[in-house]
Amino acid sequence: MEVSHSVKERTIAENSLVILLQGLHGHVTTVDLRDESTATGRLTNVDAFMNMRLAEVTFTDRQGTVSHLDELFVTGRNVRYVHIPDEVDIRATIERQLQAIHRVRYFGARDKGRKEFPRAKHK
Amino acid sequence: GGAMSFLKRFPPPAEGVRHRQPDTEAVLAGRSLGAGTLYIAESRLSWLENSGVGFSLDYPTISLHAVSRDLSAYPWEHLYVMVNAKFEEEDTKEAPVAEGEEEDSDDDVEPIAEFRFVPSDKSALEAMFSAMCECQALHPDPDDEDSDNDYEGEEYDVEARELEQGDIPSFYTYEEGLLHLTAEGQATLERLEGMLAQSVSSQYNMAGVRTEDSIREFEDGMEVDIAPVVAGQFEDAEVDH
Repeated sequence: MEVSHSVKERTIAENSLVILLQGLHGHVTTVDLRDESTATGRLTNVDAFMNMRLAEVTFTDRQGTVSHLDELFVTGRNVRYVHIPDEVDIRATIERQLQAIHRVRYFGARDKGRKEFPRAKHK
Repeated sequence: GGAMSFLKRFPPPAEGVRHRQPDTEAVLAGRSLGAGTLYIAESRLSWLENSGVGFSLDYPTISLHAVSRDLSAYPWEHLYVMVNAKFEEEDTKEAPVAEGEEEDSDDDVEPIAEFRFVPSDKSALEAMFSAMCECQALHPDPDDEDSDNDYEGEEYDVEARELEQGDIPSFYTYEEGLLHLTAEGQATLERLEGMLAQSVSSQYNMAGVRTEDSIREFEDGMEVDIAPVVAGQFEDAEVDH
């Protein structure tokens, strides 16, 4: 998924496991919520505060009633657990997201006089 | 019957209204509050019945919101909003509710109120949903224990260290960036472009450095691994001049 345009959000993502969740963009994911309801749907966005947006959601409320929601937004505060899909390679996902952040960092604002040559370690 | 005690009269929000949806019914726990207008504002979510009374919800109390088009679950397409708070209803707390909206014992621990906003214009639901997402994002959780909020420390300010600059709110696209060049930035750009001109003429190409042409080609600037034009000339990017 697209890397955030906010320096603060990139910093937070880079230093927490939110970065893993951001790499799950497009995957069908199950999220357990604080009130014991669960939502399963395609992850379309996760921000640095773990606010999550899902599409085509099967929602099971805490009483067990199942319903279908076109789109769901849950605040990070109310996320208890995110089930990482089995097909996801966790380490590769994190590395890919870190690379995306670094590309934005080193090449995003070249006209402000940033160093143009990639550092050796980023080749 | 008694009016919902949490309904109050107040003027419609005037500032920061991201979306306004008239002719919208509000429903709390299955009970209709009437027809009115929903205001999705940056500071709070408000609904005002056509008579002028209504209520507001603060975003930090909203756990989730969703677009529901599943008519088997609820007969009208609507915006569903779950709130971490108790709202008084006509059949109040003491006696068990006969209708079947049972109060679970864990309601004492985790109060939850379910609102549904049913617009007469179903096509507005997308915009309503998005406006709420945007406003929610403006209210990050102040009580967040999990994330280390101390990202202001110098050790996290990687970008500033790299640039030896201070606060950078965002990055510019190529076109925007040119407009924002300082005199020093302009001098740097000219110096680098001069170096490129020299190196092009001597058939060297520095990996990762953009000439005019390659900037246009890679619009989003995401390309990192550019192979040297002359293969085998050099392995890495460090070229001395």
